[in-house]
Amino acid sequence: MHRCLRRLMIFGLAIGWLLGVCNDTARAGGPMPEEQLQGDLAIIVNTANPVESLSLTELRKVFLGERSHWPSGRRITLVMMEPGQPERRALLRDVCQMNESDFSRHFLHGVFTGEVFVSPKTLASPVGVRKFIFNVPGAIGYVRASEVDSSVKAIRVDGHLPADREYSLHLQPRAVQ
Amino acid sequence: MIERDQNVAPATVLPRNRVPNAFSRYPSALLLLVVFGVELGVSMFVIRDVRTVSVEAQQMYARSVLGLRQIGELQYQAQETRRSTLYALTTNDSNLQVEYADQSREADRRVTDGIIAYLQQAGMPNEIDFGRRLQRDWSAYLKVRDEVLASILEGSTKEAVDLDLSGGVPSFERVRQDLDEIKRLYDVQASEELARVSASSRRSIVRLVGVVCFTLIFATFSVWAIQKSRMLGAVELARLQMDFVASISHELRTPLAVIRSAAENIADGVVEGKDQLAKYGSVIRNQSRQMTDLVNQILLFVSTRERRNHYILQSLQVSEIVISAVENTAELVREAGFVVEQHVEPDLPCVMGDLPALSRCVQNLMGNAIKYGAQARWVGIRAFREKSGHHGEVRISVQDRGIGIDKADLPHIFEPFYRSSAVRAAQIHGTGLGLPLARSIAEAMGGRLTVESKLGGGSVFTLHLPSVREINHPASARTPGRDVGTTK
Repeated sequence: MHRCLRRLMIFGLAIGWLLGVCNDTARAGGPMPEEQLQGDLAIIVNTANPVESLSLTELRKVFLGERSHWPSGRRITLVMMEPGQPERRALLRDVCQMNESDFSRHFLHGVFTGEVFVSPKTLASPVGVRKFIFNVPGAIGYVRASEVDSSVKAIRVDGHLPADREYSLHLQPRAVQ
Repeated sequence: MIERDQNVAPATVLPRNRVPNAFSRYPSALLLLVVFGVELGVSMFVIRDVRTVSVEAQQMYARSVLGLRQIGELQYQAQETRRSTLYALTTNDSNLQVEYADQSREADRRVTDGIIAYLQQAGMPNEIDFGRRLQRDWSAYLKVRDEVLASILEGSTKEAVDLDLSGGVPSFERVRQDLDEIKRLYDVQASEELARVSASSRRSIVRLVGVVCFTLIFATFSVWAIQKSRMLGAVELARLQMDFVASISHELRTPLAVIRSAAENIADGVVEGKDQLAKYGSVIRNQSRQMTDLVNQILLFVSTRERRNHYILQSLQVSEIVISAVENTAELVREAGFVVEQHVEPDLPCVMGDLPALSRCVQNLMGNAIKYGAQARWVGIRAFREKSGHHGEVRISVQDRGIGIDKADLPHIFEPFYRSSAVRAAQIHGTGLGLPLARSIAEAMGGRLTVESKLGGGSVFTLHLPSVREINHPASARTPGRDVGTTK
């Protein structure tokens, strides 16, 4: 009896694994559903900014203040959300690869030693972030992908937009498959 | 004396028009009607003028006052744009700075929309020029403003202040000057419109005063004219009444003198024998009957004027009327030595009327024919049906070959108490009531009385009476025509 139940469970798990693989295969390369879009973090710049794409490494340098100007010559202005916001946590984790205290310490140290050229502006809401970036041509910031509108421009990260499956910035960390 | 013009053509006089009668009878109502009409016209004129002034004032309000208000709003929003930008300089809080930037952009959007609206409604070339210049200067300021805002948000306060001082202040000053220019333009337009409205108001007042003065003068003149007309009428009536009293006195005095003379002769024993006494009695009877007839005629006329007569209308044969009138005037005809020729057409339809009244009417006409028949001593009575025109009409004409009537007197012969100067001069006695009475009777029977006369050639008075419809009065009711012949 126990052996029969165990076989039945193994069979069920196998069916479930097969269905999951098929589902993932079907979705590969296509646009993400809306729920998925809500979970992505979009990097946004001013619409006048000619930059369309950054690699994750370049993005890390920008957000750690190690790069002060855009290729066009405009000064870079960092826009961060207040500590504790899930968007900020995601950016620190996926882009800066730091926690909150390391990030603060990095900027304190950088400003003191002159290795960091810009200090981030802190805004309370995604709307504030959008408006700030709309007003400042050299500003860069982040919001949920679902909150991007025509007043700002989302850029590619490693060649992918938030709608793509290969996009690497998410609010919640992805389980390693 | 009556001017005797043998060549005067026969004239026809119909009964006087009823409209002038009504006007002379109700002068106050006529005056009120005229004044009301004039006042109505004046009111419409004034209302039109007031509406014109009102429309002009509304146009002035719409163009200039609203324009000034619009420019005031533009000035305020432009100041708000700049003020919000500068407020962002006063804080380091990025959230507040974003709020101020938002406010600045909201205000600048209102200014931009206002300029577009101004350009859309601008019609004069200078308005369009000012509007385009404002639009250009405002765009230049917004470019500087955007740079200033970006510097503030980036945290470069010094750079923002430098930008504002070098570019923002002069460009905003140009915007302010443009707005002042447009405002001045509206001020000029408003002044011109105000002057136009004032001129229009003055013009309306002058017109109003003029028209009111005209109305007052017109009303005063109307009252004066009507009062004068009534006064003249009253004077004429009094004169006619005096003439009437004189005529009546004269008419009464003659038979009274005869009666008194006869009575004195009888009392003095001058009259002897039965034959003479009978002759005197006959004279007294005739004279008293003549007086009675005169008094009856006056009373009849008065009752006719006061509409107290109650006629008994019935279907009458025309020959009855003619015979009755001829019989009643037979003695008068005989005494005057006149010849009366009668002719009644056969198959005349009946007429509706009162026999005694119609007989009295024809008698009056015959009495006149005898009185004014002069030396011809001939009276013709004819009853006939009109062949053309008034088909349902029977006519009784009384013709004489006497002195005729002057053309100038014809319009007045049917007026009560009227006697022409020629007749008075010829000492032909009368009351001036015979013809008015005859006409009143004719009209009361639904008919009319007309006259044709030639001075020196005689007159023809015709009584027109409507005939009774054949359906009500079959052919059996008709009587054969009678040529009554000649009576002396």
